[in-house]
Amino acid sequence: MATTSKKGSGAVGANRLMTELRPRVREARNSWRLVRSNYTAMAGLVMVLTMVTIAILAPVLAPPAPYGNPYSIPKDFYDPKPPGAEGYIFGTGQFGTDIYYGVIWGARATLYASLFVVLTSALIGIVLGAVAGYYGGKVDEAIMRVTDVFLALPALILAIAITSVLAPSLENIMLALIIVWWPGYARLVRAQVLSIKESTYVEAARAIGVKKSRILFRHIIPNSLSPMIVSITLDLGAVALVAAGLSFLGFGVPTGYAEWGRMVSDGRNWFPPMVVVYQGVLYNPWWVWLIPGMFILIYTMGFSLIGDALRDILDPRTRR
Amino acid sequence: MKMYQFIIRRLLLLIPVLIGVTLIVFLLTRLTGDPAAAYVTPRMTEAQILQVYVKYHLNDPPFTQYLYWLQGIFQGDWGYSKTAALPVTEAIGVFFPATFELAIVSMIIGVIIGIALGTTSAVRRNRPFDHGTRVVSLIGVSIPIFVLALILLYIFYAWLGIFPAGNRYSNIYIFSTGIPTITGFILIDSLAVGNVPLFFDAMWHLVLPALTLAFGSIAIITRIMRNSMLEVLGLDYIKTARAKGVPERVVIKKHARRNALIPTTTVVGLAFGGLLGGAVLTETIFNWPGLGRWSAQSITTLDTPSILGFVLLTAIFYVFVNLIVDITYAFLDPKVRLE
Repeated sequence: MATTSKKGSGAVGANRLMTELRPRVREARNSWRLVRSNYTAMAGLVMVLTMVTIAILAPVLAPPAPYGNPYSIPKDFYDPKPPGAEGYIFGTGQFGTDIYYGVIWGARATLYASLFVVLTSALIGIVLGAVAGYYGGKVDEAIMRVTDVFLALPALILAIAITSVLAPSLENIMLALIIVWWPGYARLVRAQVLSIKESTYVEAARAIGVKKSRILFRHIIPNSLSPMIVSITLDLGAVALVAAGLSFLGFGVPTGYAEWGRMVSDGRNWFPPMVVVYQGVLYNPWWVWLIPGMFILIYTMGFSLIGDALRDILDPRTRR
Repeated sequence: MKMYQFIIRRLLLLIPVLIGVTLIVFLLTRLTGDPAAAYVTPRMTEAQILQVYVKYHLNDPPFTQYLYWLQGIFQGDWGYSKTAALPVTEAIGVFFPATFELAIVSMIIGVIIGIALGTTSAVRRNRPFDHGTRVVSLIGVSIPIFVLALILLYIFYAWLGIFPAGNRYSNIYIFSTGIPTITGFILIDSLAVGNVPLFFDAMWHLVLPALTLAFGSIAIITRIMRNSMLEVLGLDYIKTARAKGVPERVVIKKHARRNALIPTTTVVGLAFGGLLGGAVLTETIFNWPGLGRWSAQSITTLDTPSILGFVLLTAIFYVFVNLIVDITYAFLDPKVRLE
């Protein structure tokens, strides 16, 4: 990447911007072509875009009651009804909660939680990892020993430990997940920074007297982010998976809340041999746990597919 | 570096990690309101409760408290589990065998199936088998383990009626032959007393939970095995072996797979971590009387000493599993020791 030492003025600056931008645009176009020709990546993109659209349009797709918490699923207090009954597209669940409403708002809750957790921990990881890698010495030692400890614990177990001492809420699940997730990013960024630190363009910047902090923030960090993009994409799915597991276990949100893990957990109360009779027909209410479960699967799978494709695209060695 | 030097070095590196882990757990015990609650049993009198404060130095500065707490951990005083109505260490003794049995069986299933699928799909790259395997491993990393458990239960228990819904054995054996409790591992105990029907009954009960728990490991191991097989198959010595007329089967099994296994060992440790987390969910659904179900019950009853006891145990366990993995790796690939 070109190193700019002086700012141009007026038309010259705009010109320079164009010349700098052109290879990046070309690169982006190339990447997009690779994504489009990769049918698994496209499948992933479709899954993720569907989920994101549902999350954004939740108030339109499933209008909430004018008052109260929109994440609290409306219910009619009857036993579960099968999909299609009385206008309930996906049927109803525990206490007659509307499954369709639940999965729609659940998408919003999941997207919000996973984005917040991943981006916050990535930010913490980038700063601490870059500082550790760039300055080295005692700071590096200290940060790395702390990450060692956190990485020595399985993610779900550490999250359980932290949430167990906090009050149960979605916010505390998110806090626990941030504490669990940042060390991985710090490690990744540090390794990148260590290798980029030795590259010729950094040496050139140092030689012409660019300040240390400027080198770190303008040259090293931006160039060490591409493996981060892959991790962030994969983790958006992985975080959702762990969060769902936590709320399935009963941490976080209460019964009847529009969160997929919680909905599966509520639906488990209707697992065989439980049966319901609706209009004279005997049903085994599989929809109450399977539908929210499938939403978690699609959400995670989408990010997983895109992450894998991005890994291949961003690594010039594996692309043809 | 010699092998024993490497092992000693790794053991020394473990000390700060273990200190850190105990620090985290200690901090969490102090965050839960009154730390004395961890040691109070329902039958204690007012005066005995006051003694708890003295005994555990709960009025001392935090660092002194940590040292006394650590001393307690070393001496087996991990607090009192309300859920099990036992001291935490004794509760762990009761629940550990069930979890360990389940985890070992799952790990064996995961490793065997993972290596087989990974090898075969690398050999048949981009053919239907490879695509099928990719779908399986994609689902394996994306499906929540509790949804997988419910699906398997729905199909094989509720619908087909092949496998039982949960527990480690059929209740009938409690009354007919009794359940032997020598080691706590049913598969071993039943054979030790010569109760073959119980052995097969226990195996039958293990199938669904073990498969559920193994699914994630299968996915991870398959993926790494496939990649490392593909890498190895492109190397010169494989071409040499083929050129001199070694049969393809031997090339795959003896030349390629053995070397491809080396990088795969590293993810076994990782997969084991997932297994420990997954055990909490799997045991809850299959009503498996192990550490996972115990800690999940402790979550609903807000029994923090039990949860943190479980966390401390799994952390120590996980650290040592990864140590063994590292040593195995260094043993298989001498280059690692030189770094």
